[in-house]
Amino acid sequence: MKLGSSDKTIFVQGPYLAYRLILASIVSLLLIFIDVRFSYLDPIRAGISSALAPVYWLSDLPVSISEGFSESFTSRSDLQEKIDLMESRMLVLERKAQKFASVTAELNRVRELLNASRIVDEGVVVTEMIGVSPDSDNQYILLNKGSRDGVYLGQAVLDSHGLMGQVVEINEFSSRVLLISDSRHAVPVQVNRNGVRAIAYGVGALDYLELGNVPDTSDIVVGDLLVSSGLGGRFPEGYPVARVSEIVHHDGRSFAEVKAIPEAKLNRSRLLLLVFKGGRGEISGTTMHSTSRAESGE
Amino acid sequence: MSQSSVNWLAVVLSFSAASVLELLVMPQMLLAFRPEWVALTLIYWLLRHPERVGLFSAFVVGLLMDVLSSTYLGVHAISCCIVSYLVLTLHQRLKMFPLIQQSMVIFFIVGVLLMIVMTIRGALSSVDSNLSYLAAAFSSALVWPFVLIITDRLVFALR
Repeated sequence: MKLGSSDKTIFVQGPYLAYRLILASIVSLLLIFIDVRFSYLDPIRAGISSALAPVYWLSDLPVSISEGFSESFTSRSDLQEKIDLMESRMLVLERKAQKFASVTAELNRVRELLNASRIVDEGVVVTEMIGVSPDSDNQYILLNKGSRDGVYLGQAVLDSHGLMGQVVEINEFSSRVLLISDSRHAVPVQVNRNGVRAIAYGVGALDYLELGNVPDTSDIVVGDLLVSSGLGGRFPEGYPVARVSEIVHHDGRSFAEVKAIPEAKLNRSRLLLLVFKGGRGEISGTTMHSTSRAESGE
Repeated sequence: MSQSSVNWLAVVLSFSAASVLELLVMPQMLLAFRPEWVALTLIYWLLRHPERVGLFSAFVVGLLMDVLSSTYLGVHAISCCIVSYLVLTLHQRLKMFPLIQQSMVIFFIVGVLLMIVMTIRGALSSVDSNLSYLAAAFSSALVWPFVLIITDRLVFALR
């Protein structure tokens, strides 16, 4: 009896272990194939993700606790100072907004003269980042808004400085955002100064993007602000994306090498904005993978 | 007797803790050195209960890791299965090793796991693969003794 049980532990799973490994590998490869090609597995992924909701919540706990602490243990004078600063900042922004309203109205009148369509202002919802991707090659963040709050696939996410990325996966209470710096991501942009169009590719580094296929002669200089052009229909038009930091011209090559620094604080911002396209409905029938491919395939 | 009965509460708790650690917000600089907590926990249970925890469990844990790191479903699953095969064939020797030597084997095993993941991901998309995963394998080897001791404590406490 004793001998038998110890025998069982020596030959753990018998000679069948190798066959089982082969079987498991085939199943895994099949899964990968299905997940790459089709979207049948998305419900499974969403199910596991929803089951992991407490884990996501727990992993965010240290940050939210430390924030709660620093909020409740700030001195009165510090708070007063902060409020004063914010009030003055709000005044400045409100003054800008006043002008902006009249400028938008005027712009729309001019566009009407040109028989162009009106510019619709987008609605935004404030959201909080609750997690970052566990490895640095996969640049994702998690938001605390999900399908309950009407988040849709491909929705643009901003911070207070510029474009952060787009929603690629939605669960009930959270959603996953692919950052513009991910190596599978690309944004159609235009130079704010003169409207020269380009595509900004992520390279997997948080601190710069690359512009693809920029002709050597095109009018882009260091310091130019790149804003989203709205071409491709995914991102709303006119949000700052990046600022050109470096242009290298190679003799004998027809394209220049252009690098740009993202305007959004990709690794710092915690409070973010989800942009809801005014009037336009949901983008349906797109899945996570076809989304990222459609953007990078442009 | 106690060897063959797996403490399922401890299994669930240890994997939850590992997932939380895996997702914890970390400074950008340390991100490359994040130990593969879930994989280490899997190796722990493979070593402790090789007769109960096998390829199927490894497959399920792999799917969990796929969701956590949002890779295509199956990428971590296949590498976890291969790694568990390695551990199950090595486990008689591995159990006898002193901690330092175990850590060295862990470095090798986690390195293999990450190498497979990087290779598949590199083949599927344009992630440029480099040797940076060795950093994670190294930190995994460093924290292995702690994983072993703390999870043992957990199992003992929940006995």
